[in-house]
Amino acid sequence: MYVKGLAAFAAAVGVGLLSGAAIAQEVKQEKQSVLGNANVPPVTQEQLNAADKNAKDFLLTNGNYAQTRFYPGKQISRDNVKNLHVAWIFQTDVKESLETSPIVVDGVMYVTTSFSHVYALDAKTGQQLWHYAHKMGPITVYCCGPNNRGVQVLGDRVYLATLDSKLMALNAKTGEVVWTTNIADPELGYSETMAPTVVKDKVLIGTNGGEYGIRGFVRAYDAKTGKQLWNFNTIPENSVGVWATKDATGRDMHRNIQAEKDMLAKIGDPYAKLGGGVWQNPSVDLATNRIYFVVGNPSPDLDGSNRPGDNLYTNSLVSLDLDTGKYVCHFQYIAHDVWDLDAVSPTVLVNVKDKDGKAIPGVIHAGKTGHIYVHDRKDCSLIRFSEAMVPQENMWVLPTKEGARMLPGANGGVEWSPIATDPGQELAYAINLHQPMTYHVESSAYPNGKLWLGGAFKVIPSEKQSGNITAVNYNTGKIKWQVKTPEPMIGGILATAGGLVFTGEGNGKFAAYNSSSGKELWSFRAGAGVNAPPSSYMIGGKQYVVVGAGGNTQLDYKRGNNIIAFTLD
Amino acid sequence: MFGKLMMCGAALLLIAAHARAETIEEKVQVCTGCHGENGKPVDKTIPTIWGQQAGYLYIQLRDFKRGDRKSDIMQPIATQFERDDMLAIAEYFSQKPWPNLGQPSAPKDVAAKALSASASVGCPACHLDRFQGDGTVPRLAGMGRDYLAKTIADFRTRARGNNPGMSDLMIATSPDDLAALVDYLAGS
Repeated sequence: MYVKGLAAFAAAVGVGLLSGAAIAQEVKQEKQSVLGNANVPPVTQEQLNAADKNAKDFLLTNGNYAQTRFYPGKQISRDNVKNLHVAWIFQTDVKESLETSPIVVDGVMYVTTSFSHVYALDAKTGQQLWHYAHKMGPITVYCCGPNNRGVQVLGDRVYLATLDSKLMALNAKTGEVVWTTNIADPELGYSETMAPTVVKDKVLIGTNGGEYGIRGFVRAYDAKTGKQLWNFNTIPENSVGVWATKDATGRDMHRNIQAEKDMLAKIGDPYAKLGGGVWQNPSVDLATNRIYFVVGNPSPDLDGSNRPGDNLYTNSLVSLDLDTGKYVCHFQYIAHDVWDLDAVSPTVLVNVKDKDGKAIPGVIHAGKTGHIYVHDRKDCSLIRFSEAMVPQENMWVLPTKEGARMLPGANGGVEWSPIATDPGQELAYAINLHQPMTYHVESSAYPNGKLWLGGAFKVIPSEKQSGNITAVNYNTGKIKWQVKTPEPMIGGILATAGGLVFTGEGNGKFAAYNSSSGKELWSFRAGAGVNAPPSSYMIGGKQYVVVGAGGNTQLDYKRGNNIIAFTLD
Repeated sequence: MFGKLMMCGAALLLIAAHARAETIEEKVQVCTGCHGENGKPVDKTIPTIWGQQAGYLYIQLRDFKRGDRKSDIMQPIATQFERDDMLAIAEYFSQKPWPNLGQPSAPKDVAAKALSASASVGCPACHLDRFQGDGTVPRLAGMGRDYLAKTIADFRTRARGNNPGMSDLMIATSPDDLAALVDYLAGS
């Protein structure tokens, strides 16, 4: 996953740059941690297991271990959503890209910001209970903004992964640091922006760094001590694979297999610096004790000349045993990717129909290609892929020095944004980008942890960009409805039992749509990009919807520092 | 300019004298000869280091020492330092105020051209909002114009070889667009 700016330059020209003086990223004065006293009971594993049925809290980044982002409460409905209004707005200290998924535990909300700050808030009033301001090390190497996508709570601890590649446990009541573990060396290109997933006393975490020649991994750490329990390298020592010439949809990828084989004979397996970051949370199948996640692009992104083979398990769905981290199965979408059209959006576990129409446990992933892929959970095999949600043109033309135009652009399709599902309607909801780009290739040696793109992706300034919200029937692969948006979309979406989906746009619009038809039923203008996944919860018999409005570095959407909660009268 | 460079070079003769510097103030004495006592470089092709991101300054010192970034002046200086020295020096300068070099703002048409080019390859994705930088990515806003022009040109030819990703992005951008970017960033 790499970043590309959006041609939003006209607005930026209007703003201009302040002359001379430094412009602080942080907009308030409070840069030190402020300890507090959040009156919050410990979260049990049983509560986490049943999160999908709990309308009071929002306990996991994507709602529950299956990551459905389907909120079971229905007080806010198609009939009354038009009356939704602001309950409170909390302003964080950090006015920079905001991708947090708010977590709510018994009336206490935990949100994060860029540069790895954490806040505990009163979820009813928005009052700050404590603030953890991470003291960042001097070495940070990261792609796509200094983001943080959230925390998870187990027991009386809040788990956080930081931009300088540390894993931390904080006291959920006070914000004090309980333990800190170094995950990997940031000087070699490792960083953390994802929320950890905590299950059965294990803290699961991946890593960023696919643009810097890292060797990716997913790890489990002991939730009590921070000690590493197991490590799974997303790049195996034999990364060559089966020399696949077609992608998951059957299209030829124009690989020169003989040239790759010659290079393999010359340099050996390129596994050590092959990338394969894991940007988003795994799904946990509690019944089979397995996890499912997707692995990002190979390094360098656009230049495949020095990385012969399929580059396993980049651009793949992977399943592991939760207790041991041992490999169970995988499915690769694009072997030997040279477009950065990788796998980023988190997996979702739902029951799906197999090719014979029989209901089986499935796993779904929305790709940067613009397809939703539906798999058999047992062996990771592909059952079907959806109609393309975005225009596709000239796939898979190889990158050239001068630049070759291909759609989708390198941001997708679906970027890191989590999808939502409504199992009752058999629908998956995804937000998409449409950014025409040219793909350029250049060769260079491994640069010791520096940016290693192997070329460039260029937005074509003269071509119109857009976005969309798309509902796909995952049992047929057909698009049920689609709402076009004026700008590419990034952030996330939430479906509710009230028959609604909530999502936001880079222009500050946050809206509710009828989840069966896509009809817009309510909207709000937040004043900064709404590029974070919404959550929902209940306090005192009232349902709230909450979302971050802080803009986005990756697409250069207007920055802000607001956490906004909405409710009914 | 030649005179200033001579003075800057003369200051470097003091390197040996400072090789055994103990305090941070002693260690950074060698820097002021070229980068300026008040944070304004003595020559326009020399970068501003006052107020620069600490991670970036550290990486550059590390790369000069390793030879990954070539400079007849900087390499012998950086060679004296161990990692902890480099981190301390980087932190020291990062805490200084960024100097105003008084460079003119780019005209509107140049700014528009620069921002279009920047958006096309995604400069703000790493250099962040308003080109302030963070961590190992440098601040570009208000940097000396001649230095920006030279280092971008060096990235483009790979004469500056310590960030091939930057070279790739500069190669993918036209010289015309890069000239606009230089004017825009210098005047920011």
